[in-house]
This record gives sequence, C-alpha cells and structure tokens, in this order.
Amino acid sequence: MRPFGVLDDPRRRILIQALAAGFFSSAGGAAAQIFGRSPGQLPSGQSIYRVSGNVSVNSQPATLRTRISPGDTVETAPNGEIIFAVAEEAFLLRGGSRMVIEKPPERSGLATALRLVTGKVLSVFGKGRPTRIVTATSTIGIRGTGVYTETDPEQTYFCTCYGVAEVAANNDPASKETVVATHHDRPLYILAKSGKQGASIRRAPFINHTDQELMLIESLVGRTPPFVFPLENYSGPRRDYP
Amino acid sequence: MNPPIGPVASWARVAALAALAGASALAGAADPAESPGFRVDASYTWDNNVNRGTAADTLKDRALGVRAAVSGAVPVSTRTRAIVQGFAGTERFQTYNGLSRNFIGVQGDFQYRAGGEFGRATYGVFYRFQAEDYESTLRDGYRHAFGITVVKPWTDRVTFSAALTENITDATSTVFDTKNTSLRGSVDWSLNNWNVVYFGADYRRGDSVSSICRNCDLTRTLGLLNTATSSVQDDAFTDTVRDAYKLKANLWIFSLGYNHAFTGRQSLDLSWRRGLSKGQNAADPATQSDINYYVTQYSLAYLARF
Repeated sequence: MRPFGVLDDPRRRILIQALAAGFFSSAGGAAAQIFGRSPGQLPSGQSIYRVSGNVSVNSQPATLRTRISPGDTVETAPNGEIIFAVAEEAFLLRGGSRMVIEKPPERSGLATALRLVTGKVLSVFGKGRPTRIVTATSTIGIRGTGVYTETDPEQTYFCTCYGVAEVAANNDPASKETVVATHHDRPLYILAKSGKQGASIRRAPFINHTDQELMLIESLVGRTPPFVFPLENYSGPRRDYP
Repeated sequence: MNPPIGPVASWARVAALAALAGASALAGAADPAESPGFRVDASYTWDNNVNRGTAADTLKDRALGVRAAVSGAVPVSTRTRAIVQGFAGTERFQTYNGLSRNFIGVQGDFQYRAGGEFGRATYGVFYRFQAEDYESTLRDGYRHAFGITVVKPWTDRVTFSAALTENITDATSTVFDTKNTSLRGSVDWSLNNWNVVYFGADYRRGDSVSSICRNCDLTRTLGLLNTATSSVQDDAFTDTVRDAYKLKANLWIFSLGYNHAFTGRQSLDLSWRRGLSKGQNAADPATQSDINYYVTQYSLAYLARF
C-alpha cells in the first residue's frame, strides 16, 4: 500500500505538477494575448490591463504585475502599447510615447496632472476630478471627460471625445478655447508657432482613436462612456456581406 | 389612369430612392459624429464555377467590381438608431459577359443597444432593396432582403456577428425568381488595430439556380428536367447551349478573409469563399451528384471611406 499523499496514477501526478507550475495560468495568459479578453474593472492592486512590445515604467520593463502610481514615467517603444489605470483614470498609451503622471501640487485642486512629452495617449478621467494635461505646445484643463492627445514639438492634436476641456496654446496666450463635446465634436491642432497671435488653435479631423478603445478603458475603471453606439469612422473599412 | 411602369420608370424610381436615402443620411446628421459616410469598394474576384454547375461542367471566370455607397446614422432615441444607405455599382465579368451587371439600391437598418458597455450586443433589423440590370435579360429584376442581426464583442480582440435573412429575387424569368433563408455567423479576430482575420459560415435553404450544358450528358439533362421546379435556356452563356434549372437546395458557404487597414479610411481585403450546394429531391434519372455543385472564390478588394 502506498503512503498517504503519493499518487499512483501518473496522469494525475503530471496534471498536479502542471498546475503547480502554473502551466494553465500561463496558457490562459497566452490565449488572452492572442484572442483578447473581456475587459472589466481592474482588481485593486493591478494597474496594467494589457502590455505589448517594449514598454517601461520608470525605465524598468513593464509586466502585468507592475504598479503605476502618480510620479511614474511610462514609456513605449515604437512597437509598444500599454493599457493601464491609475486611481479613477485609465489610459491607452500608443507606441513611441513618453508620459509622466505627475503628483499634482498640493492645494492645486487637481486630481491628476499629466505631461505627455511625446507620442499618443487616449485617456478617460473620473467625474469631478479636475485634471491638467501639458504637452510641448499646449496646456489643457479638463474635468470628467475622455480625450485623445498626440504631441510632437511642432503641434499637438487634441480631441475632446466627450466632456469639457479648456485648451490653451503654450506660446500664444491669446489662443484659448473651451470645448464642450458629446462625441468627438471639435478636434483641434494646437501649434507651436502660428505666425499670428490668437491663431495657434485650429480645427482638426477625427483621427487615430476609436470609440471601442474608449469603451475598453472606461470599463477598466468601472464606467461607461456617455454614447451608446460606437462610431466606426476610424476603424478600417470592412466589406459588406453579400 | 396609372402611368406605365416600364424598365426606365422602375430604374428612375430606384435611383430616386437611393438619392433620397443619401439625402436622408445627410439631413439626419445633426450630430457631427454621425455625419454621412461615403464608401467606395473596388474588387477583383476569381470564381471557379460561375454557372454553378456540377463537377464535370463548370466555367471559370474573373470579375471586376466597383460599389459606391453613402450612408448615415439617425439617432432615434438614446439606445436606438436608424441607418440609411444608398448604393450603386457594377460587376464586369471577363469571359461570360452575360453575367455582368449594374445595380442600385437602398438599405435601412434599425438598431438597438442597451448601453455603452464594451461587451454589449447590438441588435438590428434591416431591409434592402436592389435593382439589377444584367448584360443578359433573364436575370434582370429586383432583389429584396430582410432580416435580423446581432453583433457582440466577445473579447477586446474577437467579435461575433450573426444574421437571419430572407432573400427574395424577382427576375424577368421565373427560373430566377428565387427565395432562400440564410443563417450566417461570423467571427472577426483583430490581430491589432490594423489587421483583422475573419471567418464566416452561412447556411442557406431554398432555391438555387444552376446552368448546365444541354447536350453534354442527355441523361443528366433529363434528370435535371425532372428534378427542377422550372427551367429556361440561359441567355448569359455563349460557350454552348445551357439551360438554367431552379432547384431546391441547401447551400453552405464558408469564408475566410484578411483585412489590412492602411489608415482609418482605407483597407485591403483578401478573402476565400467556398460554397457547397446540395440539391434536394433528385428525380430519376438524376443522381445526387447531378444536382450538387461546389464553388470557390478568391477576392481582393480595396476599400476606401471618405
């Protein structure tokens, strides 16, 4: 007779060893990487929903276990992308980007402050949480909204997907605009140099972000966007079924 | 006295409907985000059985197609909307020009979505009307399709869609007056933002038309005459004398495709489709293989949105 705890069925032994080695959780993780997963509110203690390619947090390679907090710098290589949440805010940072999540100064009244040094980020913010986004060419104050930002030294692209944003050009105090949007109503370019006072903010087309992405990152912080039907204006056209 | 309704009047009526659909789309675009979309598709398709014939009697051909559409969404309530589309196009076959056609039509969809959550399904009903003018005569006529649809994101990379559709064709010849019911399911798998692989399966039950050489196999011809609900000498083919037979059939269509978007407004789509039709009620001397057909299509399409 075998002593207690010794398995006589080799198949059970292999199965238990595989479970102990985390085989199935890693297989599940691989399946999630390939086929995705249904997004939902992130458990407390988890910041990152998805990371692909080369991504770093404070210059250390990011994994699903990396925590991201105010004061951290998140950077993506051109092949990288990261989807994450910090407090009530959620972000999709595209490849070739560098973003600093700043600790807002005390008594500033700000809940969050972001500095997008370069690159592209889709962000959603909790209601009643004043936020400031600073780019090379603009300073944007927002409150309870979803926004998409792209920046380089020459210009910033800014779309108020919904909510209210106060947009100001850094080098042109006369260029200011308040955008009240329900659904990507008024995307803007904020230029570094316009050659004329008061002309640094210009209308822009709707580019490079989708409503599906907004729905996804809102779900990470337990919210839904104010629209019901996603637009398909910026996903590639598909063939109609004959 | 009612005015005469001839082909010209009918086409004018369809064109007016399509224009009205486009105008409705424009007028309904109060929300800038719901502004009308213009689409142009150009496709090149290789088909190994354009006559939908049995294994020993198939004709290959290639076709160029262009389709233009204007559509717009009109919010009805917070959770419902209507989508109106007008479209027109042409398909030109290289060898069997009788199959080449021009078409124009309208489609209306009514959709419901319970909320803005990522995984919520969108349910819809639709009706499509299309007028078709072939280089041959017997196939000219109108197509109607109506049905129900559902689209549901399963994960952030995989989306499922399904449709139950009734297809009705009202053509010059009763052989091409067909009805079938289609149940389709498809899965889109997004590799990333710009690359999608899709797979679809479509089961259709109802009428099917095959054009078969009259004098190549007289026993088969007799069997088809006994099995078909109606037949007529087909005017679309010139290679030999062919008869078009309307048969009851069950058809499976499988598709596998890859869509690569260059930007948010242009994409290239490569697809493979395989159709397997099993005829019903074979009557002596027809054998089952006399009333089945198999077809494979490869298609490359360039799609642009403005």
